[in-house]
Amino acid sequence: MIDPLMIRPEIALADFLPIFISSALVLIFGGVYVGIYTAVKVKYLKPWAIIIAYGFWTLTAYCLYVMGSLMHVGDFTAKALVVAAIGLFLLPFAVYYMEDNVHKNNEHDTQGEEDGK
Amino acid sequence: MANKSVWSDNRFWQRSATWVTGFAAILLIWLTFDTSAQISMGTDKDIQNKVTKRVPGPTVINYKITYERSPKRGLEVPIIGGNDGKGNSLFQEKEKFFGRDDWSEKEARAMLHLGKLGSQAKNCMDCHTLLGNGAYYAPDLTKSWLDPMWEDGTMQAIIGGTLGKELSKEEAMAEFLQHPELYPTHARQMPNLGITKKEAIGIVAFLKQMSSIDTNGFPRNFGKMKGAINGK
Amino acid sequence: MANNHLTSESKQLATWYLTFAAILFGAQLLFGLIAAIQYVMPGFLYGILDFSIARILHINALVVWMVFAMFGSVYWLLPDETGIETIGIKVGKLAYWVFVAAIVVVVLVFLLIQVGPASDTTIWFITEGREYIEAPRWADIGIVVVALTFVANLFLTGMKGKQTGIVTVLMADMIAFAGLYLAGMFFTDNISVDQYWWWWVIHLWVEATWEVFVGAIAAYGLITMIGAHRKVVEMWLWIEVAMLFGSGILGMGHHYFWIGTPEYWWEIGALFSALEPLPLVAMFVHVLYDWGKTQGAQNANGDETSVITNKPAFIWFVLNAFGNFLGAGVWGFFHTLPQINLYTHGTQFTSAHGHLAFFGAYATILVGMMYLAVQGKNGIKVMKNTKTSIWAVSMITGGVMGMTVALTIAGYVQVIVSRAQMGATWAAYFDGQSGVWFTQAMDWRLIMGVITFLGFLLLAKDLLTTGKNPVHER
Repeated sequence: MIDPLMIRPEIALADFLPIFISSALVLIFGGVYVGIYTAVKVKYLKPWAIIIAYGFWTLTAYCLYVMGSLMHVGDFTAKALVVAAIGLFLLPFAVYYMEDNVHKNNEHDTQGEEDGK
Repeated sequence: MANKSVWSDNRFWQRSATWVTGFAAILLIWLTFDTSAQISMGTDKDIQNKVTKRVPGPTVINYKITYERSPKRGLEVPIIGGNDGKGNSLFQEKEKFFGRDDWSEKEARAMLHLGKLGSQAKNCMDCHTLLGNGAYYAPDLTKSWLDPMWEDGTMQAIIGGTLGKELSKEEAMAEFLQHPELYPTHARQMPNLGITKKEAIGIVAFLKQMSSIDTNGFPRNFGKMKGAINGK
Repeated sequence: MANNHLTSESKQLATWYLTFAAILFGAQLLFGLIAAIQYVMPGFLYGILDFSIARILHINALVVWMVFAMFGSVYWLLPDETGIETIGIKVGKLAYWVFVAAIVVVVLVFLLIQVGPASDTTIWFITEGREYIEAPRWADIGIVVVALTFVANLFLTGMKGKQTGIVTVLMADMIAFAGLYLAGMFFTDNISVDQYWWWWVIHLWVEATWEVFVGAIAAYGLITMIGAHRKVVEMWLWIEVAMLFGSGILGMGHHYFWIGTPEYWWEIGALFSALEPLPLVAMFVHVLYDWGKTQGAQNANGDETSVITNKPAFIWFVLNAFGNFLGAGVWGFFHTLPQINLYTHGTQFTSAHGHLAFFGAYATILVGMMYLAVQGKNGIKVMKNTKTSIWAVSMITGGVMGMTVALTIAGYVQVIVSRAQMGATWAAYFDGQSGVWFTQAMDWRLIMGVITFLGFLLLAKDLLTTGKNPVHER
């Protein structure tokens, strides 16, 4: 029998603030990562800035870890959070790859002429 | 352009969107069937047979209700009619509700019906929260039946003192609901909503039944911590 | 296209819808101010227009103005997308007046009658008393009829004219939108069942069908305002639909943690809620991408002018991408997991999230559509910002952000004092409400609310006057 306190432990009073801050930062860092990545790809920023983008993703993953451990999430939720982190990492790649592909495929069409089918 | 990839094919994504949406919707509907069965309201027979339902039937008002920690689930659950020591309801210990503890299923159901209707007709949810949903201008009512303000007799003393008679918990609650403006507990006062005596009794029955719903441990530690540690 | 000075009947009708939406938007802010004052001065209008009534009007005006603006937006873009005049426009106009009349009656009943006895008559004619959908049952039926005529017009037009990807998405989305309302129209004694289905309306509107609607409108906006490539935009729209519905439909689980529903919703809610921000982040990238690409292509042709044909509308559309991410994404995510939601459920956190999410995800883009309509109605080729439009957008956005931050602080006090320390009782509740941080946060919320309202007045002025302003290119 597992100790029930292991299943649903209390959140320590001092942990609430770090939890809220880290969970807000998860998406803010994540947004910055995705933003810089896209900006580099559409040539608003120099290519080396991609390093900064990955740096922000690392921060995102770290914040997720902090948030999850302070909240004492269970096994299942921990896995869900890892999936979300990986999803966020791949997201801009996938979006950029797909959009660019479509763009190239349609480069010679005149805009507004296709009927979308 | 050569080699058109599937990832940039409009049709592919249109189909994917349809499949994903369809799959999610079917899963939700399937879960809805399961959940609906689990949250359907119990009956008096269930209580007689000591069957714990997530939403007990209206005759639960004949029993004593508490909110205690279940060691098995690691959270607080409503306990009806006494605790067997392992966090399960015994359905034994009765409690008088407006002087009786033998309300029939029909009578109890009628009270609950009136109370639920009343809770909507008076827009309770636009100041209070019920099961945590609603507005945040007034206290949560999920476990209000078990609130220490009523459990320890504070409110009964205030209301009974004003009326010059001794009142049970449910009588005091019904009195408060009819004339909330006479018993202010905070600068923010509940207005008089024209609740009649019969409606007030119904609403109290509704609140008592709501406190017996298994809410997976929400709210946490309800009434276990007495007195402010630091209110600022 | 027939958008020059509105030869299209559909666009004419759209301007009616958008105008009434703007009026209700003002009413929403006004009643919000009353409720905010009551937090600071509880005696204000006590017994005359109590908090519950002010709040009902605040949130119902919100929902209804958005529905009006959504219908208006669809009537606006239909002729552009399908290439034909909208079918059944006469019925559409009739439905508009029925809808307006019903809203006026409902508002008057809320204001003057307020509550009724605990009986079916009250549910049918005064209030249903369920947050967001308090409208009495007769009005429910009216709303469904109006919504169905709207859906019928959309379908008939879409099937006869050119059925673009945007129109297809809107057709599917709007039928779900209208159908879901039915889930909120019955009475039950079982509060758990009641709230279970109530969330079908609220959640599946706000976190699924409305979000997809916004995706479709954003696609239309990107094509009309910056000349983004239709194939790119439409393919993207399908991906958005897959992501939004894929995460949003089962994301419903996060409302089923504590209402009597089984524990398995914790896992479902946690998983899909964790995924819900991804499409919002993606939407943000997409706008950036399209803007960068089209501007880049134009610059490459030696043309350094902006590709944007409607500056104020574009600002609101960009705010939408950003606000959706911030309000629905960030503010949603930090209280969505069950472990923390146990403490934040039913506190001002929800209110902070609600304010920023409704504004960021919906108000912004619908205001953008209002600007597009002003442009079309006045036959403007390139619409520029005026001082008023800049002030309006800055004050409204600043005000809403300010309110959100204030409510977040208030929510934090509630979580710590009322929930974590004192266990959510009556006394705990009022202890939290009287804390210095809480009361000051409520003062700030009121101040920020006033700023928002002043911003709205400027917005109204700008929408009414900018069309005649000579700065625009015609």
